[in-house]
Amino acid sequence: MRRILRLAILVILVTTVPLGAVTPPKVAFTYTRLSNGLRVVISEDHSAPVFSIAVNYNVGSRDERKGRTGFAHLFEHMMFKGSENVGTGEHFVLVFNNGGDMNGTTNQDRTVYYERLPANQLDLALYLESDRMRSLAVTQENLDNQRQAVQEERRLRVDNQPYGRTYETILELAYENFAYEHSPIGSMADLNAATLDDVKAFFKMYYAPNNAVLSIVGDVNPKDTLARVQKYFGTIPSQPTPPVVDMTEPPQRAEKRTNLEDSLARLTSIDIVYHMPPAITPDADALSVLASVLAAGRSSRMYQALVREKQLAVAAGAQSDDSRGPGLFSVGVTVAPGKSAADTEAAVYEEIERVKTGAIAAWELEKARNNAKRAVVGTLTSSLQRALLLSQYALFHDNPEMINTRYQRVEAISTADLQRVAREYLTEANRTVVITVPKPPTAPANPGGAR
Amino acid sequence: MRSMFALALVVFLCAGTVWSQQQDQSTKGAVIKGRAPVSEEVLRVKLPRAEEADLSNGVHFMVLEDHRAPTISFQLIIQGAGGYYDPPDLPGLADFTAALMREGTKGRTSQQIAEQLDTLAATVGIGTSMGSQVATLSGSSLTENFDQLLTLATDILLNPTFPADEIARFKTRQRAGLIQQRSNPGFLAREMIARVLYRDHPASRVSTTLPALERLSQADLVEFHRRTYVPDHAVIGVSGDITMADARKKFESVLSVWKKTGAPAPTVSDPSDVSGSKVYLINRAGSVQTSLVVGTPGITRLSPDYDVVAVMNHIVGGGPTGRLFLNLREDKGYTYGASSGLSALRYRGSWQATTDVRSEVTGPALTELMTEIGRLRDQRVPDREFQAAKRALVANFALDLESPGGILGDHLTRWLYNLPIDYWDKYPDRIMAVTQEQVQAVARKYLDGSRLQIVAVGDGAKVADSLKPFGPIESYDTEGKRIGD
Repeated sequence: MRRILRLAILVILVTTVPLGAVTPPKVAFTYTRLSNGLRVVISEDHSAPVFSIAVNYNVGSRDERKGRTGFAHLFEHMMFKGSENVGTGEHFVLVFNNGGDMNGTTNQDRTVYYERLPANQLDLALYLESDRMRSLAVTQENLDNQRQAVQEERRLRVDNQPYGRTYETILELAYENFAYEHSPIGSMADLNAATLDDVKAFFKMYYAPNNAVLSIVGDVNPKDTLARVQKYFGTIPSQPTPPVVDMTEPPQRAEKRTNLEDSLARLTSIDIVYHMPPAITPDADALSVLASVLAAGRSSRMYQALVREKQLAVAAGAQSDDSRGPGLFSVGVTVAPGKSAADTEAAVYEEIERVKTGAIAAWELEKARNNAKRAVVGTLTSSLQRALLLSQYALFHDNPEMINTRYQRVEAISTADLQRVAREYLTEANRTVVITVPKPPTAPANPGGAR
Repeated sequence: MRSMFALALVVFLCAGTVWSQQQDQSTKGAVIKGRAPVSEEVLRVKLPRAEEADLSNGVHFMVLEDHRAPTISFQLIIQGAGGYYDPPDLPGLADFTAALMREGTKGRTSQQIAEQLDTLAATVGIGTSMGSQVATLSGSSLTENFDQLLTLATDILLNPTFPADEIARFKTRQRAGLIQQRSNPGFLAREMIARVLYRDHPASRVSTTLPALERLSQADLVEFHRRTYVPDHAVIGVSGDITMADARKKFESVLSVWKKTGAPAPTVSDPSDVSGSKVYLINRAGSVQTSLVVGTPGITRLSPDYDVVAVMNHIVGGGPTGRLFLNLREDKGYTYGASSGLSALRYRGSWQATTDVRSEVTGPALTELMTEIGRLRDQRVPDREFQAAKRALVANFALDLESPGGILGDHLTRWLYNLPIDYWDKYPDRIMAVTQEQVQAVARKYLDGSRLQIVAVGDGAKVADSLKPFGPIESYDTEGKRIGD
């Protein structure tokens, strides 16, 4: 029997702060939970006749079971293959033919679908998203078709690219917990094993209103929009809460290391990863600033030392993960032709040790702060970026207001914080090292011989 | 959030004539049930005009105000400083010059420039591409740091010193880049199709060469910069949190010393024609996919056929609603993506369709690709599909209003190609006026089967046989050298 659903509205209104020279302006929004559990974030902005909508589902490759790697992403493709009232492919045909754009994307932690459309097509977007949340209708033929498309995506991005296998090797070596140990793209064998029953069960368990956040940003009237959301989504029944995945990662006690041969690569690459805490914790925030000091831009320590001065590397990067679970702080360098990988790796550690014990200049922190400010400000002219961020903060933390505290988190980091996290996390015992070494192809490169 | 958009947006609705919801339609790769509520209006927008002026040194100056976010961006486009004008024995000189300008000036070292820009979270980029007529210096920063950005950007523009030690370091990185790019199948495909379509024309080059890199001297850089970084044929576009009056005052004060030199307007010539369809196979051992490009000589940006060819291109390869995507991916499952694109500049450019498919289906995928090109020539585009394509192109303009940088780019294009001042105002009407007969006529004119060139990057041992039906094959190795076919 259909339940009678009532709106339970929790509205948070954030006052608009004038644009100032010091702190970035804030984003105002309403946050509502429908009685079927769907959380709805609406943010009004009439500066262009456009809106963006994001539906963010609380499911990613972390939720996959062994033997079904790649399934969350394969499932994302199925969401474009038709539902009760929308034909296969009709979703994207309607969006693009009415002047919009759209996509879907899957990572370890979530699967998000989004559209950006001219302001007069709000009903179209709500209809398309609600119809597939309510009544996905997938056939064996569609599953086989998208399995092939996804396998081509894997070939395009992984199997046919230099260093394509490196990322998977890093995850497999660094992690003990299956949730993050495998990559979202999955293995060919597991993709082949996926069945229509898997699709149906996955849909029922994870694609429920109580497991999702809907966000709408742009040229809309919040009150009217919420009424329409209620009309399209309000009668979709909720489902039992999906099982919570245990993300616990045992502490690493000793360095892990491997060499990987790559017949498509031409230069050696060194990838070093360190376990780190989940995003939006003080230590993760400090590590993100540390990544900036080490490797953001040409002024960074690694670029100046490894690339420019010593010329050991031709590229150097560092980044801290932004994941819900235990993430990785990653350093990657491409070794210059003729230079030793061991020397280059040693030079990376030298820079890391310099952070732990040496001085960190005021401008290095100012750089990280200004970069954070620009990133925050940059989202103000993109309704889509705001829709994606609001949905993610609501989904992960039940707190879309986090969109307005991004700058303050970075601003709070001190030099002492950087040294503390460098000492705590960037240690030998906590690291995993993958060296990707070019391997001459097994077949002769020029069958037939040079002319 | 309060709207602080200072642009006058003129938005009006005009009745669309298309996409009746009741009708059912099935295309290859997509089934249209037609039940979703579509607003029948096409939201047509009038692009806000930039304010325009000439600086006292003669440089044309455009400003598009947008106060939503406290940031300002600008681009300075210099005609004549692009890779098109590389000396034949020094391909890459324009690119080297652009890249090395920020590696040291009379008053600042490479490190100081990097440090000052990064600290402000401001960016200055100078770039060009091989085959491009222009070099572009672009900059952006928070409003509060804009004066400092402008000081730095002007120093880089006017006073680069090209220090010898920085040139040496640059060469080391470039040598590695020359090695790295040969591992990328997309690069190998781009390199070969450019060679095939443009022969001895400057657009045939997509990368520098090792000999050119070794030969490059400080004197070459100084001279190229002195000769081509001149204001005579330059234009500046500014967008963001600034008014015309303010912007003009700021640029006037930093650029007053940048004077015209009397340099003549840079000219271009068209590439010679291409005839005789061939298959160019680049043997990349270990490839699990074949990267396919089908290309043919195209049109100039000023061709009277431009709008019609744009509509044609959208129908066949303009994203996920294009026939290539719907057929090769959604129907056949051969690929992750398939699309086509048009390159139209002052000289005759090209039209290219691209896809990456698993080795085993190289032949069938190429057959479908050629079939789709043939359908454009041989069959009238059905009414519904045709109206939808035009509607998509026109309605998509609304989305551009979110990004003033993009709108400014449209106005800069208008200025660079001497298009009429109301060019973009009339764009929707021009697109809506295109007919199916015109599309079929340009398909016959430009997608002539005897001029289509095919490039395939893949494992020769696995795919060579399946390419034979498509024409005579020339084989190359990944260094670009001809090998036994």
